[in-house]
Amino acid sequence: MRIRAAVSAALASAGILLVGWQSGVHVADTRSAVAAAAAGNQASGTGTTGTSGAASSESAASSGTTGSSGTAGASGAAGAAAKAGGTYDGDVVQTRFGTVQVQITVKAGEITDVTALKLTDAEGRSAQISNYAAPVLRDEVLQAQSADVQTVGGATVTSDAYLTSLQAALDAANL
Amino acid sequence: MNTQLLPSPGTGTPMRPAHGPAPVREAGRFAGQHRRRLLRADVLTVTAWSSLAASVALWLADGGLTAVSSPAGMVTALGIVAGLAGMDLVLLMLLLAARIPFIDGAVGHDRALEFHRKLGKPSLYLLLAHGLLIAVGYGMAEGLDPVSEAVALWVLVPDMWLAFISLALFIAIVVTSLVAVRRRFPYEFWYAVHLLTYAAVLTSLPHQFSVGGLFAVGTGQRWYWLAICIATGATLLYYRIIQPVRATFRHQLTVERVTSVAPGVVNIEMSGLQLGSLAGNGGRFFIWRFLAPGLWWHPHPFSLSAEPVRTGPDGHGRLRITVRDLGRGSAQLLRLRRGTKVAVEGPYGLFSSAARSKDQVVMIGAGIGITPLRALLETTPFAPGQATVLLRGHSNKELYLGEEILELCRLRGATLFHLTGGRDPGSPDSWLPAAEHRAGYALADYVPEIASADVYVCGPSRWAGNVLNAARAGGVHEDQLHHERFDW
Repeated sequence: MRIRAAVSAALASAGILLVGWQSGVHVADTRSAVAAAAAGNQASGTGTTGTSGAASSESAASSGTTGSSGTAGASGAAGAAAKAGGTYDGDVVQTRFGTVQVQITVKAGEITDVTALKLTDAEGRSAQISNYAAPVLRDEVLQAQSADVQTVGGATVTSDAYLTSLQAALDAANL
Repeated sequence: MNTQLLPSPGTGTPMRPAHGPAPVREAGRFAGQHRRRLLRADVLTVTAWSSLAASVALWLADGGLTAVSSPAGMVTALGIVAGLAGMDLVLLMLLLAARIPFIDGAVGHDRALEFHRKLGKPSLYLLLAHGLLIAVGYGMAEGLDPVSEAVALWVLVPDMWLAFISLALFIAIVVTSLVAVRRRFPYEFWYAVHLLTYAAVLTSLPHQFSVGGLFAVGTGQRWYWLAICIATGATLLYYRIIQPVRATFRHQLTVERVTSVAPGVVNIEMSGLQLGSLAGNGGRFFIWRFLAPGLWWHPHPFSLSAEPVRTGPDGHGRLRITVRDLGRGSAQLLRLRRGTKVAVEGPYGLFSSAARSKDQVVMIGAGIGITPLRALLETTPFAPGQATVLLRGHSNKELYLGEEILELCRLRGATLFHLTGGRDPGSPDSWLPAAEHRAGYALADYVPEIASADVYVCGPSRWAGNVLNAARAGGVHEDQLHHERFDW
């Protein structure tokens, strides 16, 4: 009887794990497809900026966005660049929930847009927090025209990383 | 004492279950019951393992395995899996201690608690590993050492401070339950710390649902986890609180009289209502709380020492427990006053006819352990000649309820042996009195057909262990051995 219990328990557990694993593979496929699409958009977006692709981090490389990342512009040309406008990438910031990097669009010395190139997405929950926090932060930044804004409640880690990266982009744009 | 069985209210049928004692029945009638019980135990085993597998499968289904790409991610992933498995074990432990009739009827109360104890350390190790691996994994991702990472988690991430408190409580609970530590403290201290389990589980819940990315809003994982947590809580609430309170109000038990059986041993008779539903549980134990100053908070596990007896209409009747002054708690019971209200929970345990697997039955009791056998002997089905009772004590005076048992054996056709006298100090493994031991008697000399009988043993744990070993040596299969601890 004990053998019956052991065998059934082993079979049931193996079955459950197998089902979990199979559906996990499916989820992962969907995710990487989404990530690839996002990376594609970013690449085309940054193609026009002409920023140098220096100092890319290893995690940026792993998600296929090497060309678009790196601290924006050479400092010598930055002053002129700010007046002329353009896009500037912020630093890649590592957090426990993944990497964060933002890009700002500047026209006539004003921030006209903030785009998140990378947002925390290590786990489903982090991705969710990011999707909620990013628009809020973007609006605040556009209003304040600086990185000196409130962090979003419940998304402290993501907010901090977002604003750190943003500050680097602002520095690069000499704003 | 009047031991006549009384009819249930209205129906006119005797106050005993449908499968009550009958002098002669077809042979092998317990085989089916035994098979069903083993099947239930196996179903429980499979369910427990499946739930553990399911907790890991939750993570796998979230793409956990394919998302692991860096060493930091690997450590974090291990931490998450440890947390999931640890929490699942904690829920299983709670269920094992919830006194669910399905579990009780399959493996018995003390076996369920044995499994509960066995899971204690593994679950704590998993929870510790969870905290440690997450701190290391997150720290590696951020370039922090684990300690700073832990501090950052405590300060920055909402609900995490509760999780730290929860872990500290779990450590305290398991440490106070270690045998070596538990012996140094009174039972009440251990019990109070153990009650903190509920606080430990509750403080661990917020971070699971708010920080754990696996249980994000809208995921199937969140629903599953919520369902098992709520189901466990509801089960505990029902079987540990609602059911006992209902039984207490239904039966309205009050102490009727306390009579001395022997020095330090008393019969406590209680009267109450609707006692028919308590009948037929000979040998199973109830948890009694005598609602008197200084006593009410102390639960006492005792078996009935006689079937309920009718004293009036509408199920009004009397029941009896026999108590020996074994500790501080039971000493106070010797001075119970008439009219004291009694709260009751139960019946619990598998020391009853529900555990039978054979037609033959052997009951072996020592000291106060004789009293549950008295109730079992009264109700368990056997044909004349199919039962043997062995009573063990230092002297005839210690064969509590000996006369009642003799009378029952006469009535039902059971063989009775009185084994009195001191132990042989030279042989600690013997369960017999010194004289019988030296004469070379064994269990099979008293019960030649022991190998094909159910053996019920109740007595001090050392002695009971010796009896069980003697029975095993006599060819009794493990499934036929039924043992009740009463010194816990």
